[in-house]
Amino acid sequence: MGRYLVNRIWHGLIVIFGVTAIVFVVTRLVGDPVSVMLPIDAPAAQRAQFSHDLGFDRPLAAQFGDFLVDSARLDFGQSMWQRRPAMEIVREKLPATLQLVFLGIVAALVLAVPIGVLAAMTPGGRLDKAATLISLLGLSMPQFWLGLVLIYVLAVRLHWLPTSGIGTPAHLVMPVITMALPALARLVMTVRSAMIEELSKQYVKVALAKGLPMTRVVAVHGLRNAAVPVLTIAGWELIRGLAGYSVVVETVFAWPGLGLTAVQAISRHDLFLLQAVVFTVAAMVVVTNIILDCLYQLFDPRLRLGGPA
Amino acid sequence: MTLFKYYRWALLSAVLLAFSAMAQAGEMTVALGSEPTTLDPQSAEDGSERAINDNVYETLMVRTTDGQLTTGLAAAPPSAVDATTWLVKIRPGIKFHDGTPLNADSVAFSINRIIDPKLKSAQLSFFNSIAGAAKVDELTVKITTKGPDPLVPVRLYWLKIVSQTYVSSDKFAAAPVGTGPYKFLAWDRGSAITITANAEYWGGKPSIDKVTYRFIPESGTRLAGLMAGEFDLVPNLLPEFIAQAPKSAHVESVLHPVIVLNADGGITKDVRVRQALNLAIDKDALVKALFEGYGRIDQGQLLSSADFGFDPTMSAYPYDPAKAKKLLAEAGVTNGSLQIVGTSGRWLKDRETVEAVAAYWEKIGLHVDVKIFEWTEYLKRLWDRQTRPDAVYVSSKDPLLDPDRPFSTYYAAGGMGASNADPRLAELVTKARTEINATERTRLYHEAIRIAYDQAYLAWLLTYEDLYGLSTRLNFTPRPDGKMLVHAMTLTK
Repeated sequence: MGRYLVNRIWHGLIVIFGVTAIVFVVTRLVGDPVSVMLPIDAPAAQRAQFSHDLGFDRPLAAQFGDFLVDSARLDFGQSMWQRRPAMEIVREKLPATLQLVFLGIVAALVLAVPIGVLAAMTPGGRLDKAATLISLLGLSMPQFWLGLVLIYVLAVRLHWLPTSGIGTPAHLVMPVITMALPALARLVMTVRSAMIEELSKQYVKVALAKGLPMTRVVAVHGLRNAAVPVLTIAGWELIRGLAGYSVVVETVFAWPGLGLTAVQAISRHDLFLLQAVVFTVAAMVVVTNIILDCLYQLFDPRLRLGGPA
Repeated sequence: MTLFKYYRWALLSAVLLAFSAMAQAGEMTVALGSEPTTLDPQSAEDGSERAINDNVYETLMVRTTDGQLTTGLAAAPPSAVDATTWLVKIRPGIKFHDGTPLNADSVAFSINRIIDPKLKSAQLSFFNSIAGAAKVDELTVKITTKGPDPLVPVRLYWLKIVSQTYVSSDKFAAAPVGTGPYKFLAWDRGSAITITANAEYWGGKPSIDKVTYRFIPESGTRLAGLMAGEFDLVPNLLPEFIAQAPKSAHVESVLHPVIVLNADGGITKDVRVRQALNLAIDKDALVKALFEGYGRIDQGQLLSSADFGFDPTMSAYPYDPAKAKKLLAEAGVTNGSLQIVGTSGRWLKDRETVEAVAAYWEKIGLHVDVKIFEWTEYLKRLWDRQTRPDAVYVSSKDPLLDPDRPFSTYYAAGGMGASNADPRLAELVTKARTEINATERTRLYHEAIRIAYDQAYLAWLLTYEDLYGLSTRLNFTPRPDGKMLVHAMTLTK
């Protein structure tokens, strides 16, 4: 296990390095960041001076060398627009995204497990059809549209919730619903099919024949065995959210998170801020993956690695 | 819950509600599209920063609601001592919010700070001509320019005066201290900035006590907040949303979407073709269809009516496709084709405008190749001095309400976005730049406008109107310079 972890961390570091290096090169190739900072009719000489002051006129290799040395120290330089350390901005925005993504996944899981199990108990039944309908809706409604509809109904018409922003539990309701719904849809389907498969297995029939109550068979034996695929999808949803899929929700609800910061950094060509965001996201994805792998082994001993053969 | 408890709870919430309603009587909320990148008023070129700092900081010169230049922190308009020296007297008795007096030190410091290359100010291009400033006495500052510059008073309208002693504070860019009618209160990063009325303001205490600025990137959400009564003022309202807003206000903006035509090559080299391209566009229909009527036809001059040098006698090329076809035939263009370059998502309806214009040009028998590029790719083409596109869409902006900037950029040969080699036009623009006499300067611009128009160096389209969504209780008259000055607003009780 220990050696396995060391290996995973080592590979993770390579991934993080690769992603940030790619972003470094691509962002330097797509266009001149200075052209976005100054008014469109600013003189060319002033543009060149700006470029020089920010070091963009140096050879790419030299810029990249400095970038490597600095990022090894977790120093991503100053945001070109905000003129303060890029990492400081990331640290400021990260909690809002984490809150949104985690609450979204937890809400989706808490709802998906009972819905999926109930649907699996009577495949083709009324409950199953309702669960399928929920999933279909959740997957086919664009988050952007769903968010605006929620705002219109719950905030503008009914005045139950604030339209946007952050601060109180009431501010959380609509963003979390919007974040959770597509994940809920996928998870319901996963739980359902995993449970249907488990419940058709021989050991379930044996357990029931032995006289164990259905609830116990489902809760203890079935669910535990169905956990691996559910965990895979939940982990994938989590990574998706952290890697930027929260941006739609953050934009619609003016939720000041990392996704929104990344989009603004891109549109302003704020390269240093963007690099800090990409680094952070890559690191989160890697860490989440490692944690998920460890969890797998907890649920399914067959997947245990590095132990005695 | 017993009935008694329930009753007590209801009473408590009623009292709380009454309190919060009272507190809100003098408070308003503004929804901006993005969070200010900084609150240093001299470093960024950022509309959200200006929206807030326009109320916290002040300038030596200001504009009236109809755009006329008048004195702000200056006691009198700056006077020209000689061709390159100006003297400015400062209003006495004004204090910064931290209690330090406004004096010649701070004014000279503010000017020298913004032109200092070390600051790397994105606003530097507004002050290119200024060489420096020095204190003459406690309330007089001498400004020297690199050459004769009639725009010194206009530039002083753009330059916010900062406190020399406060700039070195590490809070300067996050907690501004100015002389304005509002004092900075708090910046809740990512969420809101609040400012409160400055009771000691030299121009009188403003009527609205507190302003909260929220940052809402999505225009639909801004509208929703306005409809739900959470916001009182929403700038940059989309034209299609205006019917849903409780109340709205609009004014001619300083933005002029135009198409620069290449007078040096391609089929557009012939002036008749360029005129035909102008005649082919139904500008009135563009205003109505794309902007719901919230725009005005650019009267062939790249200027808004509040701008210096605006020529009221000019009128736009009429919509006359028949004449356009005739001119094309005269120029010998049959089956002509041209390329139009544009971008998407940077300016209001930029892509839609380019596509509509291309459709009009197709109607007079041209093959139009529409090229929409990502912003920096687009800029490369707009600025490429070697190969000019046949036609390139651009939205010219004129925040100083003066022709020098737009004309130098899009009219004068060699300008960053110009596509002609007309020596006379360039000469007029260059001369006007240093002409101190306002009458003569106006005459030069009027001649330049006439030449550009006759030669059809651009296809002029329209001027947008700035649209604001308002709550029913807010009274606000929008200004041609786009500033949202809260001390000129009131709330109906």
